[in-house]
Amino acid sequence: MTRSRLLRRWSGYLYALPYLTLFGMFIVLPLLYGLRLSLFRWEMLSRLQPRFAGLGNYAEAVRDPYFWKSLVATFKFVALAVPLTVCLALLIAVGLKSLPGRRQAFYRAAYFTPTILTISVAGILWRWFYNSEFGLFNAYLGRFGIKVPWLTDTHWAMISIVLMTLWWTVGGPMVVLLAGLQNIPPQYHEAAALDGATGWKSFRHITLPLLRPVLLFVVVINVIGAFQVFGQTFMITRGGPEMSTRSLVQYIYETAFNNYRMGYAAALSWLLFLVIAVFSLAQFRLMRER
Amino acid sequence: MLTDDPQNHASKKANGAGNHAGARRQLWLYEGLVALGALLFVFPMVLILITAFKPDSEIVRFHGLLPRTTTLANFRAILGSPEEIPIVRWFGNSLFISSAATLLVLTVDSLAAYAFARLDLPGKKWVFGAVVATMMVPGQILLVPVYLILNRLGWLDTPTALIIPAGAGAFGVFLLHQFFISLPKELEEAAAIDGCSRWGIFWHILLPLSRPALATLGIFTFIGSWNDFLGPLVYLDSVDKYTLPVGIALFQTSYYAEYGLTLAASVLCTLPVIVAFLLFQRNIIQGIALSGIKD
Repeated sequence: MTRSRLLRRWSGYLYALPYLTLFGMFIVLPLLYGLRLSLFRWEMLSRLQPRFAGLGNYAEAVRDPYFWKSLVATFKFVALAVPLTVCLALLIAVGLKSLPGRRQAFYRAAYFTPTILTISVAGILWRWFYNSEFGLFNAYLGRFGIKVPWLTDTHWAMISIVLMTLWWTVGGPMVVLLAGLQNIPPQYHEAAALDGATGWKSFRHITLPLLRPVLLFVVVINVIGAFQVFGQTFMITRGGPEMSTRSLVQYIYETAFNNYRMGYAAALSWLLFLVIAVFSLAQFRLMRER
Repeated sequence: MLTDDPQNHASKKANGAGNHAGARRQLWLYEGLVALGALLFVFPMVLILITAFKPDSEIVRFHGLLPRTTTLANFRAILGSPEEIPIVRWFGNSLFISSAATLLVLTVDSLAAYAFARLDLPGKKWVFGAVVATMMVPGQILLVPVYLILNRLGWLDTPTALIIPAGAGAFGVFLLHQFFISLPKELEEAAAIDGCSRWGIFWHILLPLSRPALATLGIFTFIGSWNDFLGPLVYLDSVDKYTLPVGIALFQTSYYAEYGLTLAASVLCTLPVIVAFLLFQRNIIQGIALSGIKD
């Protein structure tokens, strides 16, 4: 009887089996395979077989100026895009919360819509906006005699990418933060109002501390996403000018699929993973402690 | 007596009304700002739609937002030359890949979520924990190894390369698991007493109750797959196998100067997603909110 019970318990895994097979094949296996690959030299187009290189690929990355350049561009993007996205999302969420149900849902949908555009469409659109000759922005700014080198100047290019990213991605965090705000029981604010805390004070001392777990979630997810930036820069600037917007993922993409240096690309991927992991852990620590 | 003092009463009332009016004015101000922002967010999309009906000459030399002459030429041009621009084909590819991926995700994820949420499996905590932990793994770092695995399987440059790996994501299992454990157990227990099997409970009780969660996951998966860019860019090779997003991106590089065509193609690519979004936006938004709040 115990044997048949044991069999019955294990047989439950049959339900999970189809998923677990895919999970093993396309998540666990690639993770381990990628790690192993990163220890090999493998130029896929040459006739040479992959050969073991130890940490050679990682050592190459440390000396590779293009790697550093793409890492700096990625950090720049993260440092600009994440705080701006989260603040704007919070601002919109607070604004939306003050509105009654139906109109709130209407505006919420409006803010969210850009998020569902595919990056090629969003990219084409913004490339056209930013175009220095017939772009929309310079057409209007030109009336005041202003001409901004949106995509042609190394400093402006990253700002332009971040601006477009704000429009494209603020919807997700906004929705999560709005739900978080609505989860705060109104009694807290009512009690605070009786003690004379309203407006900014109430937001600073009641809303923000109670929102912390949700805020942490939003920040971490955003940082993970921002470190993987690819589509925007690939579509709008192709990484230019002078590689000032070439992100790490774009460099990995080019290493693997333009130059077919699979081992090196795998090592770069793991370095990116490491950076993301360190940042995520640090954020959890920071937010928990305070 | 004091409480009946008419003057006191009146002044209180006036005071209250004054506050009320102030609060209402503030609310209008908020709504005005919110509406203005919303307009800014929607405006670019309206602009694609309007501009797609402009002739190229008006796009290159900007006169104003509205077209002076409205034309269908852009749409006719991209739909009319299937050899050069197989946009209908790309549309078909996208539709097939997204539908198949959605079906696969719904099937395998609901089965797995049922096992993890409701069955007494040995070591369940560990296995489920490992699955959920991979939600934190950045997808892009799997690009190279997955490419090589697909190469070995001989799936590169086929729709399969985009459909089957889509079923491995942990998000759906997590979402449905959260939904299943929020359902009351009594129904299932009653059904079990009546002799309903595990499969029967899943099929006749849990699944029908989970329609909203399944709809949410389905829409998520569909839109995610429809909009996926890096996947098809890397795993597909032949132009006639492309999905719409990659097709349009390629199109943009070869018809760089012809913005009218590119914008018309963008409209055709976006319309289905916008329609799906407007139909199911409540599900989508609640799903996102749920995934952010409930962990």
